[in-house]
Amino acid sequence: MLRASGLTKQYGAHTALDRLDLDIRAGDIYCLLGANGAGKTTTINLFLNFIEPSAGTVEINGTDVTRHPVATKQDVAYIPEQVTLYGTLSGLENLRFFAGLALGHELPRKRLLELMTEVGLDHAAADKRVSAYSKGMRQKVWIAVALAKQAKALLLDEPTSGLDPQAASEFSGLLRRAADSGVAVLTTTHDLFHAQQTATRVGIMKRGRLVESLDGEAQIAQTDLQSLYLQHMRA
Amino acid sequence: MKTRMLLSLVARREFLERLRDGRLYWAGGLVAVLLFTALAVGWAHQREARAEQQAAQAMDYRDWLHQDRRHPHDAAHQGMHAFKPEAALAMIDSGINPFIGSTVWLQAHRQSEVKFNAAQDATGLQRFGNLSVGWILQVLGPLLVIVLGFNAFAGEREQGILRQTLSLGVPPLRLLGGKALALAASLAVLLVPAALVAAVAVAVGAGEGERLDALLRLAAWALGYAVYLGIFVFVVLGVSAASSTSRMAITVLLALWIGQAVMAPRVMSELSRAWFPSPTRLAFNQALGAELKTVSDQVWQKNFGTTERWGRDVPLSKWGIALRLDDQASYPAYDRHYGRLWDTWERQQQVQEWSGLVLPILAIRSFSMGMAGTDFAHHRSFTTAAELHRRRIQDLMSEDLVAHADPMGDRHFAYQAAPDLWATVPPFDYHPPHAGWALAHQARSLAVLCAGLLLAAAFAAFATLRQRAL
Repeated sequence: MLRASGLTKQYGAHTALDRLDLDIRAGDIYCLLGANGAGKTTTINLFLNFIEPSAGTVEINGTDVTRHPVATKQDVAYIPEQVTLYGTLSGLENLRFFAGLALGHELPRKRLLELMTEVGLDHAAADKRVSAYSKGMRQKVWIAVALAKQAKALLLDEPTSGLDPQAASEFSGLLRRAADSGVAVLTTTHDLFHAQQTATRVGIMKRGRLVESLDGEAQIAQTDLQSLYLQHMRA
Repeated sequence: MKTRMLLSLVARREFLERLRDGRLYWAGGLVAVLLFTALAVGWAHQREARAEQQAAQAMDYRDWLHQDRRHPHDAAHQGMHAFKPEAALAMIDSGINPFIGSTVWLQAHRQSEVKFNAAQDATGLQRFGNLSVGWILQVLGPLLVIVLGFNAFAGEREQGILRQTLSLGVPPLRLLGGKALALAASLAVLLVPAALVAAVAVAVGAGEGERLDALLRLAAWALGYAVYLGIFVFVVLGVSAASSTSRMAITVLLALWIGQAVMAPRVMSELSRAWFPSPTRLAFNQALGAELKTVSDQVWQKNFGTTERWGRDVPLSKWGIALRLDDQASYPAYDRHYGRLWDTWERQQQVQEWSGLVLPILAIRSFSMGMAGTDFAHHRSFTTAAELHRRRIQDLMSEDLVAHADPMGDRHFAYQAAPDLWATVPPFDYHPPHAGWALAHQARSLAVLCAGLLLAAAFAAFATLRQRAL
């Protein structure tokens, strides 16, 4: 579903991503770990065609992202670290707007409220202006957008950063349910605990290169992820 | 269907946000108050000017008719005055009227300039221009578009919303279309009510026979401003898409606004005068005087065998004929000199209209004045009509001298015409050209504005497609 082959991104002499190969299948939750500047967000940005690769290819559902930037976005939902919404609109109005953009038609209020409930926002919160929302609440609205879109793949950039433990746990549950329904998930994170709890596959990046791959929940469960991560960072 | 839904969705969201963040109320409200104030001032001024013009024209003609028995040439020297009627749309754009005068003296022998302009009676504040609906739309209209739209893309990019929006697979051009629609709707909310009030004011203020024409002019005038503001909608969105931050966007846009609203009119005015220099008043008068003397000499030489005018060589019994010949010989000279001068001014105007491709204010200024009937072309039409009336008066007076004074031999000066001669001169009844004439004269400005709109839309599309999400 999400495939990168020899994916490279250079900014002048600096190589932000170096020949990355990834193949994330439907049902996978792939966690990319790494320090700041390791190339995790660059990878996400390349999948979204926000930046163009210096070399290599990126495909979503078999379609080249660089050649078909708009069409490939129909199959993915992206959740950034900092979700920003229109502060003068309510959560429900934001959801109506973004879901409408994603789907090409407007959803009825009833369906919008169902989506809000599904992500843990009650009706009272739904009608409040977003300027009064916490970071977690804003993120939930955006997850509702992703749910409305019924995307085949999710791209998440540090999604649990800044969330309280309960919100992070709820979020992990949402990811697992999505993966169980056949969605391919690529998420970047610093949160080793979240990765260990959620991921079916883990990749560790360092200075733009993928230096370690763990495949399967069993292997991840048996690995001391923290020690492995620190070992790579210190090397 | 999907395109229309996306455009509508984006437009509604943008419009709602603009309403809720207060920009539309404050910036738009201020402009709306200014518009209605300018309209009220224009309306009051127009009513006053029209009443004065009609009263003065009637009184002047009454004075002409009520002359006692007198020598026709004395009457020709008294002449009449032609008072320029205030155009129905002058209340929304006074154009060049305040600077060019409203009254022309139709005197013997000489084509007079139009005098008594409002600027002569004004204080130094006149330098800052008139508060007219046209001026507000030309100068403050673009500023309003900038305030409402400078952060349409740049602000969303800074906040991260643009990245999220584009991640949904929205075609960037539909985003541009929706934002353009929202800006247009924001402007329409403010300007359509003002336009309706203006239409009522124009319809009520216009004379019986000119109402339809005035409304047609107003419709074309409004179309011109829609195109003009449309240019700025796309320029603002294009700059916003091309700018990395909203601060950068507003800096660039304000620089553009200052350039086009403050600097361009002055610079282009100087440039157009440099390209098509017009003579100084002294040089013009000297050249005209020289040619008048030459043609007069030729006429006197040919008809009376002398170039000494009004001397003993020509008997008094021929002075009526001499007057007529002298006057009629001067007409083509006046036509040539004034024609050349006016053609030069029109070429200067054309330079400014073409400059409208990059400085739309110059094109809309011309179009606005043209449709309002307050531009130089309309002034030329009035001046030409007044001059034709002057010639008619002169010819009638001279013909009467030929018919009555000349047969009296050397008693040329003793002849006194009866008052019924004065009634043979009709009142000066000037009707400005119709809307189609004005539109044809302004076709270039309108074409330049339309081309500007296409260029601005192309720029906005290019900038939107090339913009970075991050």
